[in-house]
Amino acid sequence: MKQYTDLEYLKLSKGQKLLYRITSFFCSIPKKIGGLFVALWNLIKTAGQVIGKEAADIWSTFVNGDWKTKLSYLVMGFGNLARGQILRGLLFLLFEAVFIAYMVLAGGYWLSMLPSLGKVGPTEEYNIIFDTYVTTYNDNSFKILLYGVLTIFFIIAFIYTWRVNVKQNQMAEKILASGKKLKSGKDDLRSLVDDQFHKTLLSLPLTGILIFTVLPIVFMVLVAFTNYDGTHDGYYNNLFTWVGLDNFNTMLNWQSAGGGQSYAATFGEVLSWTLMWAFFATFTNYFLGMFVAMAINKKGIKLKKVWRTVLVLTIAIPQFISLLYVSKMFAKNGIINGFLMSMGWIQQALPFWEDPTWARVTVILINIWIGIPYLMLITTGILMNIPQDLYESARIDGANAWQQYTKITLPYMLFVTGPYLLTSFTGNMNNFNVIYLLTGGAPTNPAASSAAGTVGYTDLLITWLFKITTGAESQYYLASVVGILVFVVVALISLVVYNVLPSIKNEEDFQ
Amino acid sequence: MKKFLAYLLAAIMVLSMVGVASASELAGTYDITVWVAAEIVDLTKTQIEDFNKTNELGITINATVEAVSEAEAATNMVTDVEAGGDLFCFAQDQFARLVQAGALAKLGVKAGENVAAVNDPSVVAAGTVGDTLYAYPLTADNGYFMYYDKSVIPEEHIDSMEAIIADCEAAQKYFAFEQQTSAWYLASFFFATGCESTWETDAEGQFISVKDTFNSPEGLIAVKGMEKLVKSPFHLSSASGAEFSSNAAVVVTGMWDFENVKAILGDNMGVADLPSFEVDGQSYHLGSFSGCKLMGVKPQVDPVKAAVMHQLAQYLTGEKAQMERFEARSWGPTITTLQQSEAVQANPGLAALLAQSPYSVPQGQVHGSWWDIAKVIGDDVKAATDEAGLQKALDNYYDKISNLFKLDTSALLFVGAWNGWNNADDTDTYYFKNNTLTLDVPESDYMGGRIVNPGDWGTDKGFAQVTVGKELIKDLGADNPDNNIVFAEPGNYTITLNGADINIIKN
Amino acid sequence: MSNMQNTSAPVRRHMGLRASRALGNTAIYALLIAISIIWLVPFVCIVLQSFRVESTWQVGYVVPQQWGLDNYINLFQTDFPRWYLNTFISALVTAVLQTVIVLCMSYTLSRFRFKLRKPLMRFMLILGMFPGMLTMIILYRVLKDLGMTQENSVPGLILVYIASSGMGYYVSKGFFDTIPKSLDEAARVDGATRFQVLKKIILPLSKPIVIYTILTAFMGPWGDFVFARYIAFGTSKGMNVAVGLYNWLNKDQISKFYTMFCAGGVLVAVPVTILFMCLQKYYVEGVTGGAVKG
Repeated sequence: MKQYTDLEYLKLSKGQKLLYRITSFFCSIPKKIGGLFVALWNLIKTAGQVIGKEAADIWSTFVNGDWKTKLSYLVMGFGNLARGQILRGLLFLLFEAVFIAYMVLAGGYWLSMLPSLGKVGPTEEYNIIFDTYVTTYNDNSFKILLYGVLTIFFIIAFIYTWRVNVKQNQMAEKILASGKKLKSGKDDLRSLVDDQFHKTLLSLPLTGILIFTVLPIVFMVLVAFTNYDGTHDGYYNNLFTWVGLDNFNTMLNWQSAGGGQSYAATFGEVLSWTLMWAFFATFTNYFLGMFVAMAINKKGIKLKKVWRTVLVLTIAIPQFISLLYVSKMFAKNGIINGFLMSMGWIQQALPFWEDPTWARVTVILINIWIGIPYLMLITTGILMNIPQDLYESARIDGANAWQQYTKITLPYMLFVTGPYLLTSFTGNMNNFNVIYLLTGGAPTNPAASSAAGTVGYTDLLITWLFKITTGAESQYYLASVVGILVFVVVALISLVVYNVLPSIKNEEDFQ
Repeated sequence: MKKFLAYLLAAIMVLSMVGVASASELAGTYDITVWVAAEIVDLTKTQIEDFNKTNELGITINATVEAVSEAEAATNMVTDVEAGGDLFCFAQDQFARLVQAGALAKLGVKAGENVAAVNDPSVVAAGTVGDTLYAYPLTADNGYFMYYDKSVIPEEHIDSMEAIIADCEAAQKYFAFEQQTSAWYLASFFFATGCESTWETDAEGQFISVKDTFNSPEGLIAVKGMEKLVKSPFHLSSASGAEFSSNAAVVVTGMWDFENVKAILGDNMGVADLPSFEVDGQSYHLGSFSGCKLMGVKPQVDPVKAAVMHQLAQYLTGEKAQMERFEARSWGPTITTLQQSEAVQANPGLAALLAQSPYSVPQGQVHGSWWDIAKVIGDDVKAATDEAGLQKALDNYYDKISNLFKLDTSALLFVGAWNGWNNADDTDTYYFKNNTLTLDVPESDYMGGRIVNPGDWGTDKGFAQVTVGKELIKDLGADNPDNNIVFAEPGNYTITLNGADINIIKN
Repeated sequence: MSNMQNTSAPVRRHMGLRASRALGNTAIYALLIAISIIWLVPFVCIVLQSFRVESTWQVGYVVPQQWGLDNYINLFQTDFPRWYLNTFISALVTAVLQTVIVLCMSYTLSRFRFKLRKPLMRFMLILGMFPGMLTMIILYRVLKDLGMTQENSVPGLILVYIASSGMGYYVSKGFFDTIPKSLDEAARVDGATRFQVLKKIILPLSKPIVIYTILTAFMGPWGDFVFARYIAFGTSKGMNVAVGLYNWLNKDQISKFYTMFCAGGVLVAVPVTILFMCLQKYYVEGVTGGAVKG
């Protein structure tokens, strides 16, 4: 493609600029992939260098350090204690004690079982005295995987802490050698609400995220490499075990393993509808919401608060109530069809949920009903922020309403809400509630459905994933593969948009 | 001979010692959870109170009775068996999943004998895998029949599906028969033309083979009949009696809706067996599944608690409790003597079920995935535009059924030659369980066999893949085109599948 | 918008400005009334159903033949009060704790410049791209080991709601970004610690975003029927309203409980709606201050 210089680029019209950015992005993909490998290699190289440097540093600290430092290699926090930093020393020591106790009591077991995920499944025995069968539960693959991962987290944390411990000794020696005083426990505490305030603020949220988001996600990703399902639940029936890339093979193979459509084809079908849905759901809401906000905000319109309140009701009432009701309203023998038939406008029920195309259009329309209020609220504020003199001068120049909209309102809105559009696009891709409550995926797509779960024409990847886990075979491993693929798709889209839309990148511009 | 003696000894021991636990050993208070359908929660609480008063073993049950849908028992139990109900009720279609999930405790020898002695044999079969009972029969009325609005459908039309559809269309009222989301209901058309889907399990509840004739000329007739219904603009895919209040004139559902429908339609309520449909001038009476609901006991770690749970389950499915449920909620009993009692015979809903029974098929053990696979036929038929489309619906179904076995390597089996390659004979057929099987090879001309896939009986792997224990088998060279495994001498062997490789050990 | 219609219709060009504006406004009023009707119909229907006495199942008409409070009274004979209490407690506690956590997170990311800031934000962005559906299974096991499932699911649910809430820092970070940094710097020069800056300067300015965060956090637990159902499975006492009501729509219960479901729905909607009405102003300010940044 033709490369423009900055000057040439500035001369282009808006559309051409966007086109240019998009094409240049796609043209640069091969280069970027190449760059990725280079970056990866550099990363490995730097990592190697860093590790080497750290090791050298650790070694030299040990060789050059005094006996307090040397002992700290074994007893964490000893140096701190010996040099009077009691608080730090005790914390280090406590951490080491907890770590060792954990590893001895539990961690070692979990870690040793991790490669096999358990050896002995449950056994059943007949108890002749009571005439009953008694089950003995043994290894628990699920817990092994969960706590194995947790133990690895813990080990990493320990190594990091140990390294900090060594570094502190080194620094303490340096500070003492220069004749300055070390920080006392009191100083440490004070810095936690001042210089180091961010650490205090972040500690709680990040711990929560680590345990309740990162750990589960790591676990979920690992499940994709096992045969964890309803009949291999790891404890109550059979153990599960590692299967390597088998599940990815099943999911990504275009050649169906047996009869019926291959998973890859089904994935493609569901993905294309998911993207279509996300596109329409995002943009219909965006423009119609903006339109409604402008209508309510228009000068001379009274009862502004009433109109807003009516719309906002949709946000206040939980979706599982309103959506389930709306879904029934559109049923074949629901109120809407009943009304239309009693008016004599139609002779037979409209197939809102029976016909694939009807169902898809209907969910998008109902989604507008849900989405407009949010957009109305968001855009109301932003519209008010647009400097009024822009409109004044436009009016003086003789611009009509449409021109004002396209030249002032829309560009401003798009610039300000660009990031919101992206998040709402990816949010819509994973919009479980609307689809699950409205259609449950219906109507069924018979060819795409399989033993792993029924697939419908309105199923998104996320509802499909849910169906796989709750289907008759509870194929968690397959659901996990789908989850990973959803991540890949979302990440790719975000990457493209980030590279094409400049307003997202420049965080500081807004401040 | 030695083995026989050992068995004999064991049998004698079992017979002499079974159930010798005395009252004092079971006495105590037990905190348990019981899952039953919402409508019998209160009744069950009373029944447990009665059990506490009447049992002679000194057992006091402190039960939390929860309303958990019988249709979702498996989904709930699979979530976490340990935290599930100690006793739970479930519809028969959940049975296979529950057994495979390890969520059902086997009945003891004596309890099993008691249950088998008094209950309807078809219901007992529903809770049996191999020779073992896994659950207690709760109610036998889990079948469907037709409710209709007498003011819309004249009595003389109720035998003909076509006439009913015409009446519905004329009155702009709906014919509700769940054809698009439920295999349980759509099987009706297939049973009408004599199709079958019969599944076989091994002693562990693992499915090993299926005889499925849905994809056949008869099946094609069935889907042609189904097409007439699902393509009617006034067909409604639903099985809820409440549809009568939303413009339905006919609903195919079961006993559980009896009171609801009566409340809505009052004197206009009619019940009847299912109608017949006509294809190419021939008439076929719609069939149905006749199933049951069962009560299961969760596997227990403690033998005492296990024994108590089984005692309670026996009581709750016993004669008195079943009769109470029939009187309070019209649930049809499973105990043969109760089934023949006058009160039960006089119930109009049960009478309609009885009228339907000549056309109904006992719901045996069905693979858990079958329900998911078969339920899409309705949608496929609705989307079909011609006969080829209908045939495609059946092909699509059949592909997935046969796929069930191909994907499941644990369903592989070893067929020996010593009975003349007789697949149906248990003496020379062995099933892989967790990729392992142990077999006795008797002295015979051809001490070998093949590892096959039950879906198509084709050789899956064999001689060429044996990596460990090659010295135990004969190399027939070119005489072995089927890749059979032929043992050098008789004995007891263990075959293990290790990925693509086969390991053989002589025991 | 009205002007747009003016130019598109040549006849109107000759009208006076006032008349054309009035016409435009009339069109907008008509539109708004139509929208209001569409938006209100489902709610009105649900409310009407909840007062229906003559039957408890779904019917083909909207206006009850017989009015009464039976459904509401019957609700109190079920576990509904317990579910309501469960939800109310978790909503309240979540609202408080989640607000603290979200504000900590967003304030830090908006105001501090430390080494790991950018990587941290990028990391959380990436984490957010994983569909959370499957992690439900793992969270159940973790909570079970902590003894926080089934009957004790309320603390468990609260823990999960707040633990991951740090990920939703975007909106409030956007809001903090709009508060000029010069304010902090001036206070710092005067010797205030970071903590004092937060307490004395930033928080008083952040009323809209605090209320916005409380409001959204409070609303979350009322609608959670997937995760809460998984955590409280098979135990009525541990359910929240969403799960309890949702179970009433099961095939074997719907005919008995449908109108009670509607009544329950109305009762759920009442507190949230009232709260929302009162605090709408702050919601708008918070969301426009923050959401625009994504």
